[in-house]
Amino acid sequence: MKPDGTIVARKLCKSFGSHQVLRGIDLTVAAGEISCIIGPSGSGKSTLLRCINGLETVDRGVLRVNGEDFGYVEKDNAYHALSPQRLAEQRSRIGMVFQQFNLFPNMTAEGNVMSGPVLVKKTDRRTARERARELLAQVGLADCGHKYPAQLSGGQQQRVAIARALAMNPSIMLFDEPTSALDPELVGEVLAVMRDLAHNGMTMLLVTHEMGFARDVADEVLFMDNGIAVERGDAREVLANPREKRTQEFLERVL
Amino acid sequence: MRELPAEHKKRITPKRPRDYVCWAVALAIVAGLVHTAVTNENYQWPVVFSYFTTDAIIEGLVLTLILTVVSMALGTLLGLLLAVMRMSHQTPISGLARLYITFFRGTPVLVQLIFWFNIAALYPNISIGIPFTDISTPVDVNAVMTPLTAAIVGLTLNEAAYMAEIIRGGFASVGRGQYEAADSLGMRGFTRLRHVIIPQTMPAIIPATGNQVIGMLKGTSLVSVLGVAELLNSAQSIYARTYQTIPLLIVASLWYLIMTMALSVPQSMIERRFSRSTRRPAAVATATKESLL
Repeated sequence: MKPDGTIVARKLCKSFGSHQVLRGIDLTVAAGEISCIIGPSGSGKSTLLRCINGLETVDRGVLRVNGEDFGYVEKDNAYHALSPQRLAEQRSRIGMVFQQFNLFPNMTAEGNVMSGPVLVKKTDRRTARERARELLAQVGLADCGHKYPAQLSGGQQQRVAIARALAMNPSIMLFDEPTSALDPELVGEVLAVMRDLAHNGMTMLLVTHEMGFARDVADEVLFMDNGIAVERGDAREVLANPREKRTQEFLERVL
Repeated sequence: MRELPAEHKKRITPKRPRDYVCWAVALAIVAGLVHTAVTNENYQWPVVFSYFTTDAIIEGLVLTLILTVVSMALGTLLGLLLAVMRMSHQTPISGLARLYITFFRGTPVLVQLIFWFNIAALYPNISIGIPFTDISTPVDVNAVMTPLTAAIVGLTLNEAAYMAEIIRGGFASVGRGQYEAADSLGMRGFTRLRHVIIPQTMPAIIPATGNQVIGMLKGTSLVSVLGVAELLNSAQSIYARTYQTIPLLIVASLWYLIMTMALSVPQSMIERRFSRSTRRPAAVATATKESLL
Protein backbone atom coordinates (compact mmCIF):
# COMPACT_ATOMS: atom_id res chain seq x y z
CA MET A 1 0.00 0.00 0.00
CA LYS A 2 1.39 3.39 -1.04
CA PRO A 3 1.65 5.34 2.23
CA ASP A 4 0.63 8.81 0.94
CA GLY A 5 -3.00 9.58 1.62
CA THR A 6 -3.53 6.80 4.11
CA ILE A 7 -4.81 6.86 7.68
CA VAL A 8 -4.41 3.97 10.09
CA ALA A 9 -5.65 4.08 13.68
CA ARG A 10 -5.47 1.22 16.16
CA LYS A 11 -7.02 1.21 19.63
CA LEU A 12 -7.12 5.01 19.70
CA CYS A 13 -8.05 6.42 23.14
CA LYS A 14 -8.77 9.96 24.24
CA SER A 15 -10.24 11.38 27.44
CA PHE A 16 -11.24 14.87 28.49
CA GLY A 17 -10.66 14.72 32.24
CA SER A 18 -12.53 11.67 33.46
CA HIS A 19 -14.76 11.55 30.38
CA GLN A 20 -13.63 8.92 27.86
CA VAL A 21 -14.40 10.27 24.39
CA LEU A 22 -12.61 7.65 22.28
CA ARG A 23 -12.46 4.10 23.64
CA GLY A 24 -10.15 2.16 21.35
CA ILE A 25 -11.11 3.20 17.83
CA ASP A 26 -9.82 1.25 14.82
CA LEU A 27 -9.87 2.95 11.44
CA THR A 28 -8.23 2.39 8.08
CA VAL A 29 -8.51 4.71 5.13
CA ALA A 30 -6.68 3.71 1.94
CA ALA A 31 -5.30 6.23 -0.54
CA GLY A 32 -8.04 7.74 -2.67
CA GLU A 33 -10.76 6.31 -0.46
CA ILE A 34 -13.77 8.28 0.81
CA SER A 35 -14.79 7.46 4.38
CA CYS A 36 -17.70 8.87 6.31
CA ILE A 37 -17.99 8.86 10.07
CA ILE A 38 -21.60 8.95 11.24
CA GLY A 39 -23.22 8.72 14.62
CA PRO A 40 -25.21 10.63 17.24
CA SER A 41 -23.82 13.87 18.67
CA GLY A 42 -21.36 13.34 21.50
CA SER A 43 -20.25 10.01 20.06
CA GLY A 44 -16.67 11.24 19.54
CA LYS A 45 -16.78 11.64 15.74
CA SER A 46 -15.38 15.15 15.70
CA THR A 47 -12.77 14.34 18.34
CA LEU A 48 -11.52 11.44 16.22
CA LEU A 49 -11.21 13.74 13.21
CA ARG A 50 -9.49 16.44 15.28
CA CYS A 51 -6.96 13.89 16.59
CA ILE A 52 -5.98 13.02 13.03
CA ASN A 53 -4.58 16.52 12.40
CA GLY A 54 -3.40 17.25 15.91
CA LEU A 55 -6.09 19.67 17.09
CA GLU A 56 -6.45 17.19 19.94
CA THR A 57 -3.69 14.96 21.27
CA VAL A 58 -4.14 11.22 21.51
CA ASP A 59 -3.78 9.55 24.91
CA ARG A 60 -3.08 6.00 23.77
CA GLY A 61 -3.08 3.86 20.64
CA VAL A 62 -1.48 3.98 17.22
CA LEU A 63 -2.12 6.76 14.72
CA ARG A 64 -0.30 6.68 11.42
CA VAL A 65 -1.06 9.29 8.77
CA ASN A 66 0.59 9.28 5.33
CA GLY A 67 2.59 6.27 6.46
CA GLU A 68 4.25 7.85 9.50
CA ASP A 69 3.41 8.13 13.16
CA PHE A 70 1.43 11.33 13.60
CA GLY A 71 2.59 13.95 16.10
CA TYR A 72 4.96 11.56 17.83
CA VAL A 73 8.02 9.49 17.06
CA GLU A 74 8.41 5.97 18.43
CA LYS A 75 11.64 5.44 20.37
CA ASP A 76 12.64 3.27 23.33
CA ASN A 77 9.21 1.73 23.76
CA ALA A 78 7.46 5.08 23.96
CA TYR A 79 6.00 7.80 21.77
CA HIS A 80 7.84 11.12 22.03
CA ALA A 81 6.06 14.31 20.97
CA LEU A 82 7.46 15.89 17.83
CA SER A 83 8.91 19.39 17.78
CA PRO A 84 6.32 22.06 16.85
CA GLN A 85 8.10 22.46 13.53
CA ARG A 86 7.84 18.77 12.58
CA LEU A 87 4.22 18.67 13.75
CA ALA A 88 3.37 21.72 11.63
CA GLU A 89 5.03 20.01 8.67
CA GLN A 90 2.88 16.90 9.11
CA ARG A 91 -0.23 19.02 9.49
CA SER A 92 0.44 20.98 6.33
CA ARG A 93 -0.10 17.76 4.36
CA ILE A 94 -3.57 17.28 5.86
CA GLY A 95 -6.34 19.63 4.77
CA MET A 96 -9.03 20.47 7.30
CA VAL A 97 -12.47 21.96 6.67
CA PHE A 98 -14.38 23.16 9.72
CA GLN A 99 -18.07 23.31 10.49
CA GLN A 100 -17.81 27.06 11.14
CA PHE A 101 -15.57 27.67 8.07
CA ASN A 102 -13.01 29.60 10.17
CA LEU A 103 -11.92 31.79 7.27
CA PHE A 104 -9.56 34.58 8.29
CA PRO A 105 -11.86 37.64 8.33
CA ASN A 106 -8.93 40.02 7.85
CA MET A 107 -8.06 38.56 4.45
CA THR A 108 -9.95 38.45 1.15
CA ALA A 109 -11.06 35.10 -0.26
CA GLU A 110 -7.94 35.06 -2.41
CA GLY A 111 -5.79 36.07 0.57
CA ASN A 112 -7.24 33.19 2.56
CA VAL A 113 -6.40 30.69 -0.17
CA MET A 114 -2.91 32.16 -0.57
CA SER A 115 -2.18 32.25 3.17
CA GLY A 116 -0.95 28.66 3.50
CA PRO A 117 1.40 28.62 0.50
CA VAL A 118 2.78 32.12 1.18
CA LEU A 119 3.11 32.05 4.97
CA VAL A 120 3.97 28.38 5.49
CA LYS A 121 5.57 27.11 2.29
CA LYS A 122 7.13 30.50 1.40
CA THR A 123 5.83 30.24 -2.15
CA ASP A 124 6.30 33.53 -4.01
CA ARG A 125 3.15 35.62 -4.08
CA ARG A 126 2.62 35.56 -7.82
CA THR A 127 2.68 31.76 -8.08
CA ALA A 128 0.46 31.51 -5.00
CA ARG A 129 -2.02 34.01 -6.45
CA GLU A 130 -2.26 32.12 -9.75
CA ARG A 131 -2.86 28.88 -7.90
CA ALA A 132 -5.44 30.58 -5.63
CA ARG A 133 -7.35 31.81 -8.67
CA GLU A 134 -7.32 28.31 -10.18
CA LEU A 135 -8.64 26.82 -6.96
CA LEU A 136 -11.33 29.49 -6.53
CA ALA A 137 -12.43 28.78 -10.10
CA GLN A 138 -12.45 25.07 -9.29
CA VAL A 139 -14.91 25.66 -6.41
CA GLY A 140 -16.99 27.96 -8.61
CA LEU A 141 -15.94 31.28 -7.08
CA ALA A 142 -13.71 32.72 -9.81
CA ASP A 143 -15.18 36.21 -9.36
CA CYS A 144 -15.17 36.33 -5.55
CA GLY A 145 -11.42 36.51 -4.97
CA HIS A 146 -11.48 40.15 -3.88
CA LYS A 147 -14.33 39.73 -1.40
CA TYR A 148 -13.95 39.45 2.34
CA PRO A 149 -15.54 36.50 4.17
CA ALA A 150 -18.19 38.80 5.68
CA GLN A 151 -19.39 39.56 2.14
CA LEU A 152 -19.85 35.90 1.21
CA SER A 153 -22.72 33.51 1.95
CA GLY A 154 -22.10 30.52 4.18
CA GLY A 155 -21.90 28.18 1.20
CA GLN A 156 -19.41 30.45 -0.53
CA GLN A 157 -17.33 30.74 2.63
CA GLN A 158 -17.18 26.99 3.00
CA ARG A 159 -16.08 26.62 -0.63
CA VAL A 160 -13.32 29.19 -0.04
CA ALA A 161 -12.32 27.19 3.04
CA ILE A 162 -12.06 24.05 0.90
CA ALA A 163 -9.93 25.94 -1.64
CA ARG A 164 -7.73 27.23 1.19
CA ALA A 165 -7.12 23.68 2.42
CA LEU A 166 -6.44 22.43 -1.12
CA ALA A 167 -3.86 25.17 -1.70
CA MET A 168 -1.43 23.26 0.51
CA ASN A 169 -1.66 20.27 -1.85
CA PRO A 170 -2.70 17.94 0.97
CA SER A 171 -2.75 14.19 0.46
CA ILE A 172 -5.74 13.86 2.79
CA MET A 173 -8.77 16.10 3.33
CA LEU A 174 -10.68 16.05 6.61
CA PHE A 175 -14.18 17.53 6.79
CA ASP A 176 -15.79 18.19 10.16
CA GLU A 177 -19.54 18.49 9.51
CA PRO A 178 -18.88 20.84 6.59
CA THR A 179 -22.55 21.52 5.83
CA SER A 180 -24.06 21.56 9.33
CA ALA A 181 -23.83 25.34 9.74
CA LEU A 182 -25.36 26.07 6.34
CA ASP A 183 -28.86 27.09 5.32
CA PRO A 184 -30.51 24.10 3.59
CA GLU A 185 -30.44 25.69 0.14
CA LEU A 186 -26.65 26.22 0.36
CA VAL A 187 -25.75 22.64 1.27
CA GLY A 188 -25.88 21.41 -2.33
CA GLU A 189 -23.16 23.72 -3.68
CA VAL A 190 -20.68 22.58 -1.01
CA LEU A 191 -21.50 18.90 -1.51
CA ALA A 192 -21.01 19.34 -5.27
CA VAL A 193 -17.48 20.65 -4.69
CA MET A 194 -16.75 17.73 -2.36
CA ARG A 195 -18.14 15.26 -4.89
CA ASP A 196 -15.78 16.73 -7.48
CA LEU A 197 -12.84 16.24 -5.16
CA ALA A 198 -13.83 12.65 -4.51
CA HIS A 199 -13.95 11.91 -8.23
CA ASN A 200 -10.46 13.34 -8.62
CA GLY A 201 -9.06 10.72 -6.26
CA MET A 202 -8.53 12.74 -3.06
CA THR A 203 -8.44 10.74 0.16
CA MET A 204 -11.32 12.09 2.21
CA LEU A 205 -12.50 11.46 5.74
CA LEU A 206 -15.61 13.28 6.78
CA VAL A 207 -17.89 13.57 9.73
CA THR A 208 -21.33 14.21 8.31
CA HIS A 209 -25.06 14.01 8.76
CA GLU A 210 -25.61 13.96 4.99
CA MET A 211 -26.63 10.33 4.58
CA GLY A 212 -27.43 10.87 0.91
CA PHE A 213 -23.88 12.06 0.28
CA ALA A 214 -22.47 9.12 2.24
CA ARG A 215 -24.50 6.67 0.21
CA ASP A 216 -23.64 8.23 -3.17
CA VAL A 217 -19.99 9.08 -2.71
CA ALA A 218 -18.43 7.22 0.23
CA ASP A 219 -16.61 3.92 -0.06
CA GLU A 220 -16.72 3.18 3.64
CA VAL A 221 -18.90 4.21 6.56
CA LEU A 222 -17.93 4.09 10.21
CA PHE A 223 -20.75 4.28 12.71
CA MET A 224 -19.64 5.57 16.11
CA ASP A 225 -21.56 5.63 19.36
CA ASN A 226 -20.27 6.59 22.77
CA GLY A 227 -16.60 6.53 21.75
CA ILE A 228 -16.73 3.10 20.14
CA ALA A 229 -16.63 2.12 16.47
CA VAL A 230 -19.84 0.12 16.44
CA GLU A 231 -19.96 -0.82 12.79
CA ARG A 232 -17.66 -0.35 9.85
CA GLY A 233 -18.01 -1.46 6.26
CA ASP A 234 -19.03 -0.73 2.70
CA ALA A 235 -21.04 2.48 2.67
CA ARG A 236 -24.08 1.28 0.77
CA GLU A 237 -24.11 -1.99 2.69
CA VAL A 238 -24.00 -0.36 6.14
CA LEU A 239 -26.60 2.28 5.29
CA ALA A 240 -28.99 -0.17 3.61
CA ASN A 241 -28.55 -3.23 5.82
CA PRO A 242 -26.96 -2.30 9.13
CA ARG A 243 -25.97 -5.38 11.17
CA GLU A 244 -25.79 -3.75 14.58
CA LYS A 245 -28.90 -2.78 16.53
CA ARG A 246 -27.51 0.64 17.50
CA THR A 247 -26.76 1.44 13.87
CA GLN A 248 -30.28 0.41 12.88
CA GLU A 249 -31.81 2.63 15.56
CA PHE A 250 -29.67 5.61 14.57
CA LEU A 251 -30.43 5.27 10.86
CA GLU A 252 -34.13 4.93 11.55
CA ARG A 253 -34.04 8.20 13.41
CA VAL A 254 -32.12 10.22 10.80
CA LEU A 255 -33.43 8.79 7.52
CA MET B 1 -56.35 69.42 -8.06
CA ARG B 2 -56.27 66.22 -10.08
CA GLU B 3 -56.90 63.14 -7.97
CA LEU B 4 -53.78 60.91 -7.99
CA PRO B 5 -54.25 57.16 -8.42
CA ALA B 6 -54.21 55.53 -4.97
CA GLU B 7 -50.93 53.65 -5.54
CA HIS B 8 -49.09 56.92 -6.34
CA LYS B 9 -50.24 58.82 -3.28
CA LYS B 10 -47.45 59.90 -0.96
CA ARG B 11 -47.53 58.64 2.61
CA ILE B 12 -47.02 61.40 5.14
CA THR B 13 -46.24 61.18 8.85
CA PRO B 14 -47.57 64.39 10.44
CA LYS B 15 -45.22 66.33 12.71
CA ARG B 16 -46.37 66.02 16.27
CA PRO B 17 -46.22 68.74 18.95
CA ARG B 18 -43.37 67.02 20.77
CA ASP B 19 -41.15 67.32 17.66
CA TYR B 20 -41.36 71.11 17.99
CA VAL B 21 -41.14 71.12 21.79
CA CYS B 22 -37.81 69.29 21.70
CA TRP B 23 -36.34 71.87 19.33
CA ALA B 24 -37.72 74.76 21.35
CA VAL B 25 -36.26 73.45 24.62
CA ALA B 26 -32.84 72.73 23.13
CA LEU B 27 -32.68 76.15 21.43
CA ALA B 28 -33.76 77.92 24.60
CA ILE B 29 -30.99 76.25 26.60
CA VAL B 30 -28.31 77.11 24.03
CA ALA B 31 -29.59 80.68 23.68
CA GLY B 32 -29.51 81.09 27.46
CA LEU B 33 -25.92 79.84 27.63
CA VAL B 34 -24.76 82.10 24.82
CA HIS B 35 -26.56 85.08 26.35
CA THR B 36 -24.95 84.69 29.76
CA ALA B 37 -21.51 84.06 28.21
CA VAL B 38 -21.79 87.26 26.22
CA THR B 39 -23.40 89.53 28.80
CA ASN B 40 -21.67 88.37 31.99
CA GLU B 41 -18.54 90.52 32.10
CA ASN B 42 -16.89 88.20 34.63
CA TYR B 43 -16.02 85.84 31.79
CA GLN B 44 -13.54 88.51 30.69
CA TRP B 45 -13.32 87.33 27.09
CA PRO B 46 -10.72 89.95 26.14
CA VAL B 47 -8.44 88.47 28.83
CA VAL B 48 -9.06 84.97 27.42
CA PHE B 49 -7.99 86.09 23.97
CA SER B 50 -4.96 88.00 25.21
CA TYR B 51 -3.58 84.94 27.04
CA PHE B 52 -4.67 82.34 24.50
CA THR B 53 -1.33 82.15 22.70
CA THR B 54 1.10 83.60 25.22
CA ASP B 55 4.47 81.84 25.54
CA ALA B 56 3.73 80.32 28.97
CA ILE B 57 0.49 78.75 27.73
CA ILE B 58 2.05 77.43 24.52
CA GLU B 59 4.99 75.97 26.46
CA GLY B 60 2.53 74.30 28.83
CA LEU B 61 0.63 72.96 25.85
CA VAL B 62 3.79 71.45 24.38
CA LEU B 63 4.68 69.80 27.68
CA THR B 64 1.14 68.39 27.93
CA LEU B 65 1.55 66.84 24.49
CA ILE B 66 4.99 65.45 25.34
CA LEU B 67 3.68 63.93 28.58
CA THR B 68 0.76 62.37 26.69
CA VAL B 69 2.91 60.86 23.95
CA VAL B 70 5.67 59.57 26.25
CA SER B 71 3.39 58.14 28.94
CA MET B 72 1.05 56.62 26.38
CA ALA B 73 3.90 54.99 24.43
CA LEU B 74 5.64 53.60 27.51
CA GLY B 75 2.32 52.61 29.06
CA THR B 76 1.30 50.70 25.94
CA LEU B 77 4.62 48.81 25.82
CA LEU B 78 4.42 47.89 29.48
CA GLY B 79 0.71 47.09 29.01
CA LEU B 80 1.58 44.69 26.20
CA LEU B 81 4.08 42.92 28.44
CA LEU B 82 1.51 42.72 31.24
CA ALA B 83 -1.16 41.41 28.86
CA VAL B 84 1.18 38.66 27.65
CA MET B 85 1.97 37.80 31.28
CA ARG B 86 -1.71 37.87 32.19
CA MET B 87 -2.52 35.39 29.39
CA SER B 88 0.34 33.06 30.40
CA HIS B 89 -0.55 29.51 31.37
CA GLN B 90 2.01 29.79 34.18
CA THR B 91 -0.13 30.67 37.18
CA PRO B 92 2.56 32.65 39.06
CA ILE B 93 3.23 34.81 35.99
CA SER B 94 -0.43 35.58 35.31
CA GLY B 95 -0.92 36.09 39.05
CA LEU B 96 1.78 38.76 39.14
CA ALA B 97 0.17 40.60 36.23
CA ARG B 98 -3.23 40.34 37.85
CA LEU B 99 -1.84 41.75 41.10
CA TYR B 100 -0.29 44.70 39.25
CA ILE B 101 -3.49 45.45 37.34
CA THR B 102 -5.66 45.21 40.45
CA PHE B 103 -3.37 47.53 42.38
CA PHE B 104 -2.98 50.23 39.75
CA ARG B 105 -6.59 50.24 38.65
CA GLY B 106 -7.79 50.16 42.24
CA THR B 107 -6.03 53.29 43.48
CA PRO B 108 -6.54 56.88 42.25
CA VAL B 109 -3.97 58.21 39.77
CA LEU B 110 -3.68 61.41 41.76
CA VAL B 111 -2.60 59.41 44.82
CA GLN B 112 -0.19 57.36 42.71
CA LEU B 113 1.41 60.53 41.31
CA ILE B 114 1.95 62.08 44.74
CA PHE B 115 3.25 58.73 45.97
CA TRP B 116 5.92 58.48 43.24
CA PHE B 117 6.95 62.06 43.86
CA ASN B 118 7.56 61.18 47.51
CA ILE B 119 9.09 57.76 46.90
CA ALA B 120 12.41 59.00 48.35
CA ALA B 121 10.78 58.96 51.78
CA LEU B 122 10.44 55.19 51.37
CA TYR B 123 13.71 54.43 49.56
CA PRO B 124 16.13 57.36 50.05
CA ASN B 125 18.99 55.56 48.30
CA ILE B 126 19.01 52.67 45.89
CA SER B 127 22.02 50.93 44.41
CA ILE B 128 22.08 49.93 40.82
CA GLY B 129 24.67 47.24 40.24
CA ILE B 130 25.47 43.83 38.88
CA PRO B 131 24.40 41.13 41.33
CA PHE B 132 27.16 39.09 43.05
CA THR B 133 29.85 41.65 42.13
CA ASP B 134 31.18 44.77 43.80
CA ILE B 135 30.21 46.91 40.84
CA SER B 136 27.37 49.21 41.85
CA THR B 137 26.38 52.83 41.72
CA PRO B 138 24.43 54.43 44.50
CA VAL B 139 21.54 56.56 43.30
CA ASP B 140 20.06 59.44 45.26
CA VAL B 141 16.34 58.90 44.71
CA ASN B 142 15.47 62.44 45.77
CA ALA B 143 17.60 63.87 42.97
CA VAL B 144 16.30 61.49 40.32
CA MET B 145 12.61 61.75 41.17
CA THR B 146 12.00 65.24 39.82
CA PRO B 147 8.39 66.32 39.36
CA LEU B 148 8.65 65.49 35.64
CA THR B 149 10.05 61.98 36.28
CA ALA B 150 7.39 61.33 38.92
CA ALA B 151 4.74 62.49 36.44
CA ILE B 152 5.95 60.19 33.66
CA VAL B 153 6.46 57.23 36.01
CA GLY B 154 3.03 57.68 37.60
CA LEU B 155 1.10 58.17 34.36
CA THR B 156 2.95 55.30 32.62
CA LEU B 157 2.49 52.73 35.36
CA ASN B 158 -1.18 53.59 35.71
CA GLU B 159 -1.79 53.55 31.96
CA ALA B 160 -0.07 50.18 31.59
CA ALA B 161 -2.69 48.55 33.81
CA TYR B 162 -5.53 49.81 31.60
CA MET B 163 -3.75 49.03 28.32
CA ALA B 164 -3.02 45.49 29.55
CA GLU B 165 -6.74 44.86 29.97
CA ILE B 166 -7.55 46.41 26.59
CA ILE B 167 -4.94 44.29 24.81
CA ARG B 168 -6.07 41.17 26.64
CA GLY B 169 -9.66 41.92 25.63
CA GLY B 170 -8.54 42.22 22.00
CA PHE B 171 -6.99 38.78 22.10
CA ALA B 172 -10.00 37.32 23.88
CA SER B 173 -12.19 38.56 21.02
CA VAL B 174 -10.48 36.22 18.54
CA GLY B 175 -12.20 32.83 18.50
CA ARG B 176 -10.48 29.48 18.99
CA GLY B 177 -11.44 28.48 15.45
CA GLN B 178 -9.00 31.04 14.05
CA TYR B 179 -6.10 29.45 15.91
CA GLU B 180 -7.24 26.01 14.78
CA ALA B 181 -7.57 27.07 11.14
CA ALA B 182 -4.05 28.53 11.21
CA ASP B 183 -2.72 25.38 12.89
CA SER B 184 -4.37 23.12 10.35
CA LEU B 185 -2.50 24.93 7.56
CA GLY B 186 0.75 24.21 9.41
CA MET B 187 1.31 27.81 10.57
CA ARG B 188 3.63 28.20 13.53
CA GLY B 189 3.47 30.51 16.55
CA PHE B 190 4.84 33.81 15.29
CA THR B 191 3.42 33.61 11.75
CA ARG B 192 0.01 32.75 13.17
CA LEU B 193 0.20 35.65 15.61
CA ARG B 194 1.48 38.20 13.10
CA HIS B 195 -0.78 37.42 10.12
CA VAL B 196 -3.93 35.92 11.60
CA ILE B 197 -4.43 36.80 15.25
CA ILE B 198 -3.02 40.32 15.74
CA PRO B 199 -4.86 41.88 12.76
CA GLN B 200 -8.10 40.56 14.27
CA THR B 201 -7.38 42.03 17.70
CA MET B 202 -7.06 45.53 16.22
CA PRO B 203 -10.76 46.36 15.76
CA ALA B 204 -11.16 45.80 19.51
CA ILE B 205 -7.90 47.44 20.60
CA ILE B 206 -7.64 50.55 18.39
CA PRO B 207 -10.87 52.36 19.36
CA ALA B 208 -10.30 51.64 23.06
CA THR B 209 -6.72 52.89 22.79
CA GLY B 210 -7.99 56.06 21.13
CA ASN B 211 -10.20 56.66 24.14
CA GLN B 212 -7.21 56.07 26.40
CA VAL B 213 -5.15 58.68 24.50
CA ILE B 214 -7.91 61.23 24.95
CA GLY B 215 -8.23 60.27 28.61
CA MET B 216 -4.45 60.54 29.03
CA LEU B 217 -4.38 63.98 27.41
CA LYS B 218 -6.86 65.27 29.96
CA GLY B 219 -5.34 63.18 32.74
CA THR B 220 -1.99 64.95 32.42
CA SER B 221 -3.66 67.94 34.09
CA LEU B 222 -3.37 65.97 37.35
CA VAL B 223 0.42 66.33 37.36
CA SER B 224 -0.09 70.07 37.89
CA VAL B 225 -0.18 69.22 41.61
CA LEU B 226 3.47 68.14 41.36
CA GLY B 227 4.42 71.53 39.95
CA VAL B 228 5.07 70.28 36.43
CA ALA B 229 4.48 73.25 34.15
CA GLU B 230 2.02 71.63 31.79
CA LEU B 231 -1.03 73.41 30.41
CA LEU B 232 -3.17 73.63 33.55
CA ASN B 233 -0.20 74.44 35.78
CA SER B 234 0.88 77.23 33.41
CA ALA B 235 -2.61 78.72 33.53
CA GLN B 236 -2.61 78.45 37.33
CA SER B 237 0.76 80.20 37.57
CA ILE B 238 -0.62 83.11 35.62
CA TYR B 239 -3.83 83.52 37.60
CA ALA B 240 -1.94 83.16 40.87
CA ARG B 241 -0.28 86.42 39.87
CA THR B 242 -3.18 88.21 38.18
CA TYR B 243 -6.25 86.73 39.95
CA GLN B 244 -7.91 86.25 36.54
CA THR B 245 -8.87 82.70 37.49
CA ILE B 246 -11.90 82.13 35.26
CA PRO B 247 -10.48 83.49 31.99
CA LEU B 248 -7.31 81.42 32.38
CA LEU B 249 -9.25 78.25 33.17
CA ILE B 250 -11.22 78.96 30.00
CA VAL B 251 -7.94 79.30 28.06
CA ALA B 252 -6.78 75.88 29.32
CA SER B 253 -10.19 74.28 28.72
CA LEU B 254 -10.37 75.57 25.15
CA TRP B 255 -6.94 74.10 24.40
CA TYR B 256 -7.90 70.73 25.89
CA LEU B 257 -11.08 70.81 23.82
CA ILE B 258 -9.20 71.65 20.61
CA MET B 259 -6.71 68.85 21.18
CA THR B 260 -9.30 66.17 22.02
CA MET B 261 -11.38 67.18 19.00
CA ALA B 262 -8.29 67.04 16.80
CA LEU B 263 -7.52 63.55 18.13
CA SER B 264 -10.98 62.22 17.41
CA VAL B 265 -10.51 62.79 13.67
CA PRO B 266 -7.61 60.33 13.16
CA GLN B 267 -9.27 57.98 15.62
CA SER B 268 -12.42 57.63 13.57
CA MET B 269 -10.31 57.25 10.41
CA ILE B 270 -8.30 54.42 11.94
CA GLU B 271 -11.46 52.81 13.25
CA ARG B 272 -12.97 52.80 9.79
CA ARG B 273 -9.80 51.33 8.30
CA PHE B 274 -9.70 48.44 10.77
CA SER B 275 -13.39 47.64 10.56
CA ARG B 276 -13.15 47.22 6.77
CA SER B 277 -13.10 43.44 6.79
CA THR B 278 -15.79 43.00 9.43
CA ARG B 279 -18.32 45.40 7.97
CA ARG B 280 -21.65 43.92 7.04
CA PRO B 281 -22.08 42.76 3.45
CA ALA B 282 -24.71 45.39 2.53
CA ALA B 283 -22.59 48.26 3.80
CA VAL B 284 -19.56 47.04 1.89
CA ALA B 285 -21.55 46.53 -1.27
CA THR B 286 -22.78 50.13 -1.10
CA ALA B 287 -19.28 51.38 -0.42
CA THR B 288 -17.92 49.47 -3.42
CA LYS B 289 -20.64 50.86 -5.64
CA GLU B 290 -19.92 54.39 -4.47
CA SER B 291 -16.21 54.04 -5.14
CA LEU B 292 -16.96 52.81 -8.64
CA LEU B 293 -19.14 55.81 -9.46
